[in-house]
Amino acid sequence: MIKSNFFKSVLILSVFSFFTSCSNDDDNASGTANLETKTFSNLYAPQTGGMGAPVGGEFTKFSFSQNAIVTNDSWDIAFRGTTIIVNGGTAIGITDEPTRTGNGAVSIVSNTLDAVTTIPNASTFNQDGASTYAIPTGSGNGWYNYDGATNIVTPIAGKVFVVKTHDGKYAKMEIISYYKDAPANPEATSLTRYFTFKYVYQPNGTNF
Amino acid sequence: MQFKKYIGILFFSSCSQYLVAQVESDTLKTSHLKEVIVTGTRTERSVATLPLPTQIITGESIRKSGLSRLNEIIQEQTGLITVPDFGGGEGIQIQGLDAAYVMVLIDGQPLFGKSAGTLDLSRISVNNIEKIEIVKGASSSLYGSEALAGVVNIITKKTTTTEQLKGNINYKLATFNTHDISTSFEYGKKKIGFELFGNYFKTDGYNLSESNFVQTVEPYSNFTIQPKVKVNFSDKVNLLLNSRIYNQNQDYKSEVGTDKFRGKSKINEWNNSILLNHAVSDNFKLVYDLYATNYKADEYLNDENNQLFDESNLNQWFYRPEIRSHYKIGKNKLTTGIGVNHETLERTYFEEKVNLNSEYLFGQFEWFLKEKWNVLVGFRYDNHHQYQSQFSPKIGLNYKWNDHFSLKTSLGYGYKAPDLRQLYFDFTNSSVGYIVLGYNVAAEKLAELQSQGQILFTNGYDFSNSLKPESSININFGGYYKKNKLSFDYNLFYNTIENLIDTRAIAQRTNGQNVFSYFNIDKIFTYGLELNGSYKLNSNFSISSGYQYLIAKDQTIVDKIERGEIFARDPITLTSFRLKPSDYFGLYNRSKHIANIKLNYLIPSIETSINARVFYRSKYGIFDSNNNAILDKYDEFVKGYFLTNLTINKDFKYRFSAQLGVNNLFDYKDENNIPNLSGRQLFTRIQYQF
Repeated sequence: MIKSNFFKSVLILSVFSFFTSCSNDDDNASGTANLETKTFSNLYAPQTGGMGAPVGGEFTKFSFSQNAIVTNDSWDIAFRGTTIIVNGGTAIGITDEPTRTGNGAVSIVSNTLDAVTTIPNASTFNQDGASTYAIPTGSGNGWYNYDGATNIVTPIAGKVFVVKTHDGKYAKMEIISYYKDAPANPEATSLTRYFTFKYVYQPNGTNF
Repeated sequence: MQFKKYIGILFFSSCSQYLVAQVESDTLKTSHLKEVIVTGTRTERSVATLPLPTQIITGESIRKSGLSRLNEIIQEQTGLITVPDFGGGEGIQIQGLDAAYVMVLIDGQPLFGKSAGTLDLSRISVNNIEKIEIVKGASSSLYGSEALAGVVNIITKKTTTTEQLKGNINYKLATFNTHDISTSFEYGKKKIGFELFGNYFKTDGYNLSESNFVQTVEPYSNFTIQPKVKVNFSDKVNLLLNSRIYNQNQDYKSEVGTDKFRGKSKINEWNNSILLNHAVSDNFKLVYDLYATNYKADEYLNDENNQLFDESNLNQWFYRPEIRSHYKIGKNKLTTGIGVNHETLERTYFEEKVNLNSEYLFGQFEWFLKEKWNVLVGFRYDNHHQYQSQFSPKIGLNYKWNDHFSLKTSLGYGYKAPDLRQLYFDFTNSSVGYIVLGYNVAAEKLAELQSQGQILFTNGYDFSNSLKPESSININFGGYYKKNKLSFDYNLFYNTIENLIDTRAIAQRTNGQNVFSYFNIDKIFTYGLELNGSYKLNSNFSISSGYQYLIAKDQTIVDKIERGEIFARDPITLTSFRLKPSDYFGLYNRSKHIANIKLNYLIPSIETSINARVFYRSKYGIFDSNNNAILDKYDEFVKGYFLTNLTINKDFKYRFSAQLGVNNLFDYKDENNIPNLSGRQLFTRIQYQF
């Protein structure tokens, strides 16, 4: 849907974000400022099938420490369509699933990325397992809402994944778009399955 | 069913009062004084003493407005909003509750035919309407399922047994090549009366979109035929036969990428009722009421090679025999009734024809305690076979402060049964691949999918208990003042609905998509204030005005925001921030403020009256724009707007009258957000009576 008062909203929201940006800067002055918030744009996670047919295809694997897509076993999380898996636990049982070699896990926290400063309790971390996703799939369950009327996938604001990496480090991340170049208002024709996410990688500690 | 609307149309009247404008206004004045309503109690009650919030739209005001479809009339009333939905219909929002919770009746009989949950009001021509009665608030104690937000009862002209042949014919021409022709004939003998009403309506529709293939509203035409017979067997026994036949044809088009599809959508509707009134004695009356209705909707799309691409069908039948008794004990009245509902539905996405059966009984006592007090108590019990049975009580209290002012309060229970889709749907989305299953078929279908190896895992939901109806508690507290030229009423209302039905994923398919079914999940509440006033300055000039303040929210969301669990994402910086409780705006499609002002001015010297109406609706949201699936104050909103409608009525000699009008005078449009607002429409109409 195209919005008629779009520009007005842009203006209002820009003003608003100016203020929130300021306050974020203040928050960051608390000792972990050496950690960098990175944005990884347009991680392409295609899938085959769909449209009622069985889904398949290679997962796109990502490593936080390398800030890059990887093809070896050093991955922490991997993407295919709206499905996200972690490098830890056992096979879920879906087609073309990569072998898990690490000890990764994820804890899902409702908060802003900046406000997550500590590692959540160990009991809140989940791994993939037979017929179980560490990051639940489906609209409203995990990281996104799907609008059946507009066919738009929207990452839920304030869903932060604290990821235990394959080698036991931590990263916190928030997915901010599922569309190429993260348009503010994606349309049904926007190119899809392009993840943009913000994250902070903590190579040696348990605070962000 | 495509969206179709707002084409200014014809209107007309079979009312002899229409001829002389002076008589009209006097009639209006006196009729207000003894305003009677039947919808609240199924007995004749004066509006002043009935302890329920009500509204009456007189036939006179409908005629003066020049409007002719029900949706157009409804949206001119205080506190009523017409809301377009995805299925193409336009339903009524009452007290901030969705159109799905409003029961629409014609002469006391329920209308059917909701393909996407909303009954499309534009199906109803208002040309032969005597009046429209609206009872706000839960009314399930009399009407059962769906009468949760309120009841709208369209009362058509009564058949008279006079020996004269009477009738009228009129024609209206409006913008968008819209034609509307109506005619009615009345004839009677001492013991029998006959009336025939017919209406034909045709329009080219309109287009607000940029596409030059698919229009916002595609061209359509429809006709309505309504024959009525009344037979007086004796002073004590009479029989009424009412029929309504409705047929609509509309172009249906779709564009998928560069592929263009064309087709038609058709609606056939038939309502038939037989009513036998028997006055057993002066104090005891029996009514035998038999009602049957059928609603059929069929549509198809062909591709460019004229091969069938898609089609869907819906065929719904409803039968209801009911017996009511009215027993008078002094001033007090006891009303009881028993009946049986039988409903069947066949449609695309249902595996087989489904049946819904229930039996019910209701009782009501109107107790005039003392000079100043009256009490209304009622209940209804519905024994449903396909979902949980329901007991719906209601109590109302009226206190007459003095001759001019009375206080009213009421408390009632309302419910809406799960619709047949929520119970029996079996739908697979062909483009994405998800499945939606009705609650009653979900367990069986899921097992079937599992045995076919289509299911990766299930989420462990249990379907052994029946799905519960959505149920509400409604409270009203109001007052009614009337003295000389001024009348005024107010009502404070509160509604809370529990067990709202929504979808949840019950399993995941091997294709990565989910299987959904329906569950009782949400809880919402609405509260607000409605005000109405009218004042007659002199015999030629009257003014009325109305206002509604409304808050409508989802309790689950309120709780989540209070726990700090809801965030919004700034669409520019893509940074998330936590919402405060005061940031929550509420449910979609609700405006905090709606208001209207209506003026009627008569110039006797030229037998011309001018009728002007101005409407305001404050901003509201129709979608989330900052990634939290709720409406908060940082979202984009549909801007608040004013609409102005103007009608001029002129009477000529020789039983002719003419009308000239414009709807949406200042041509307000919001192409992307308000598809049911077509822009300015001019119309003219001429009527002849005999």
